[in-house]
Amino acid sequence: MKYLWTSVLAAVMLLVTGCGDLAQPDNPQVEGGEVVVNFSPELMKKTLVSKGIVDENKTVFGYTAYKIPYTTTDEEGMEVAVSGMMVVPTGLPEVVTERIGLSLVSDDHGTIFANDEAPGVIGEKTSAPDGAAIILTALAGFVTLQPDYIGFGDSNDHYHPFVLKKSLANATVDFIAAAKQFASDNNIKLNDQLFLTGYSEGGYAALATLQKIEKEGGPQVTIAAPMSGPYAMNEMAMGVLSKPTLGVPSFMANVGYAYAKTYGKPLTDVINEPYASKLPALFDGSLTRTEIDPQLTTKTTGEDGLFNPLLVGSFFQDPDHWFKQAMLENDVHRWGPQTPVKLVHCIGDDVIPFAISQLAEGTMKAYHATDVSIVPVEIAITQDPGTAIRFGHAECGKYAYGVAAKIFGAARAAVFHY
Amino acid sequence: MKKSILLSMAASTILTAGAYKIPEQSLNGMALGAAYIAHTTDADTAYYNPANMSFLDPEVRYFETGITLAHLPSNTYAGMQVLPGPVMVPSAVASGESEVENIPIPYMHYVAPAMGRWRYGVSLVAPAGLTKRWKSPVQKLFAEEFTLKNVEFNPVLSYRVSDTLSIGGGLRAVYSEGKVYGDGTLIGVPIKREMEGDTVEFGYNLAVAWHPTDDVAVGVTYRSKIDLNEEGKANLYLSGIGRQFDASVSVPIPAALNIGISKTWNDKLTLEFVYERTFWSAYKTLDFEYGSPIQPALYDAFDKSKPKLWEDTNTYRLGLTYQYSDKLTLMTGYSYDESPVPEKHINYELPDSDAHIFSAGFKYKQTENLSWGAAILYDKKTSRKVNSAVTGGTGIIGEFSDGGAVLITAGLSYKF
Repeated sequence: MKYLWTSVLAAVMLLVTGCGDLAQPDNPQVEGGEVVVNFSPELMKKTLVSKGIVDENKTVFGYTAYKIPYTTTDEEGMEVAVSGMMVVPTGLPEVVTERIGLSLVSDDHGTIFANDEAPGVIGEKTSAPDGAAIILTALAGFVTLQPDYIGFGDSNDHYHPFVLKKSLANATVDFIAAAKQFASDNNIKLNDQLFLTGYSEGGYAALATLQKIEKEGGPQVTIAAPMSGPYAMNEMAMGVLSKPTLGVPSFMANVGYAYAKTYGKPLTDVINEPYASKLPALFDGSLTRTEIDPQLTTKTTGEDGLFNPLLVGSFFQDPDHWFKQAMLENDVHRWGPQTPVKLVHCIGDDVIPFAISQLAEGTMKAYHATDVSIVPVEIAITQDPGTAIRFGHAECGKYAYGVAAKIFGAARAAVFHY
Repeated sequence: MKKSILLSMAASTILTAGAYKIPEQSLNGMALGAAYIAHTTDADTAYYNPANMSFLDPEVRYFETGITLAHLPSNTYAGMQVLPGPVMVPSAVASGESEVENIPIPYMHYVAPAMGRWRYGVSLVAPAGLTKRWKSPVQKLFAEEFTLKNVEFNPVLSYRVSDTLSIGGGLRAVYSEGKVYGDGTLIGVPIKREMEGDTVEFGYNLAVAWHPTDDVAVGVTYRSKIDLNEEGKANLYLSGIGRQFDASVSVPIPAALNIGISKTWNDKLTLEFVYERTFWSAYKTLDFEYGSPIQPALYDAFDKSKPKLWEDTNTYRLGLTYQYSDKLTLMTGYSYDESPVPEKHINYELPDSDAHIFSAGFKYKQTENLSWGAAILYDKKTSRKVNSAVTGGTGIIGEFSDGGAVLITAGLSYKF
């Protein structure tokens, strides 16, 4: 009897012994990174055809995305562990992948607020192709590099230095170096072509990157095609702060937040309460723009406005005020690039006026730039200088990337004939 | 993965009742096709009708153990499959066969001596289970492996109300492991799921036994529904790249009501009829939950709730026991078992159909205390034509055939 109950108890103990953990997914192993997306050319084509993006006759390449951790330096000069996504086309002829090598496009992403919107995070969470890399890699056959920037991806606990040129350029230049090392470690053959692009904040970052490379030395850039960026921060700020209302309050609030942190100023010197106290939580990477905007006011300044009226007054009246100086310091158009620069911009841009690119072109030429020109997107895609088509800032992105891909493709074909 | 030794042995993966419930849990139960509710005579009384424990010899301890070997032939599917798109997969590609399974399933029952009007017992059984493994390309997407293993620890009590009436009941503690694997890569759908989970859940059972005369017995039992809320991990892959999620899914062991009546002639021949109502309508959806949002492209396949809308079923069982001699008892049974799975929601993880179940067995009394025996059960599933691809939708257009099960049980009883 005793034995019987011992047996029963033993059985019961066994009953409550749970399963162990299921082994982690057996993803392909690579050195120095992690595969987060892997679509064959056939699957990529099937996907794009099913979404009506291409037709059956279009050549489509495969899409393998690697999330690569690396380190960069923030505005304060501190090292930060960050991440980026490298998207490599597959299915190209062997002569390209084994002998000629693949051309690189560094693509800086536009303004985001939620960490889930960062390229590396999207790739990791969806396992699916997304965004500009579809155009640049799957359709145009470039290796696309997309740094998450400081503040997103692996550095989500760090504030994002929004439109601050030093750290954005650092994050991009360091990622280019990390990606080249990764390619070398994993037998991905690259050629010497390097193109720079990016949209909106990314356009700004791309031009900041070119400036850093030309000033400090670095990899040779073939062509830079920044798109719709706020290159002239001082003029942008003047335009925004002189209007009674803000179209998208989160953008300027983020500028105020990042600049106050970087320049060591109390946030309340820039942003009025109660908004100043809210910003750390609003910009912690958990919320999207559409979730943040309703929690801010669209009134630009005044007692109940977003910006401290003292700051706004000083910005316009005191040329030595720190905020004015910070804007000027972070302009990325007051220099003369020696690399060909194509300023891709939609004429109908309703957020970052086309005139900003016109201003950048004129200023850079005045600084003896060798080859700077504007590429109006609407004209580029219609081939009609008198076209009445206009695209707003949000709508413009996909067309702008197509235009940039054509510019880069022509430069690649001129050298490598593919 | 750590495994419970007991559970691995009790890979309860047979389909001898509609869907995945397993009513045959002893030598007598197997030989009689579970037509064994009113007239129960051994340690397995603790499981089949605990109220009847009051009518066993009060001085005696009853113990029974045994093992069932389940042989599950493959299911055959012949027909087409409509995938989202819609994409029609022709029968040359969509037809396939499931794997053959051979599984040992142990059991154990014990009834203690009476303590006045009270008596207790305990059973350790596998009350439900399912496994389907398909290697054919289309079926592999839905059920590369779909396994549900259960072990039930069932302590019971009986109370003798009068010389002819007894009531009983008990606690059901069920440990369950679930495994759901699916892989669409062979048909160009680059998605894959690997999920494993487990749980411990509780329920109860109630019983009444009435022996109005020496040769007539009536039994009524009720086993409560138990929701198996399997919790574990899932690896979800899109085009070869996977992520791991906390995951859960709930599958019920349905409630069941059994009513049995038996008549014995000359202490030699006993005929029992059992009506079983199984409340499968509790199984409304198959809904996988994840701890965080999954890859959007996998939502429809792996996250969207799948309607099941199963139906309550009736099972009719007839069992015949013949006392051939002092030492040898012969048994046989027949059951007709309805499938709870509606045509619209049938799938490869459980291509169920109505069944005719035939069984036979014997028990040999080796000594006054020790008996042994064997039984065999043949579960013949009827073929089932299916058209679940409603207008513009996805689903199956074809026929399931074969399948069923052959079970062989060897048991040992000891009284002391």
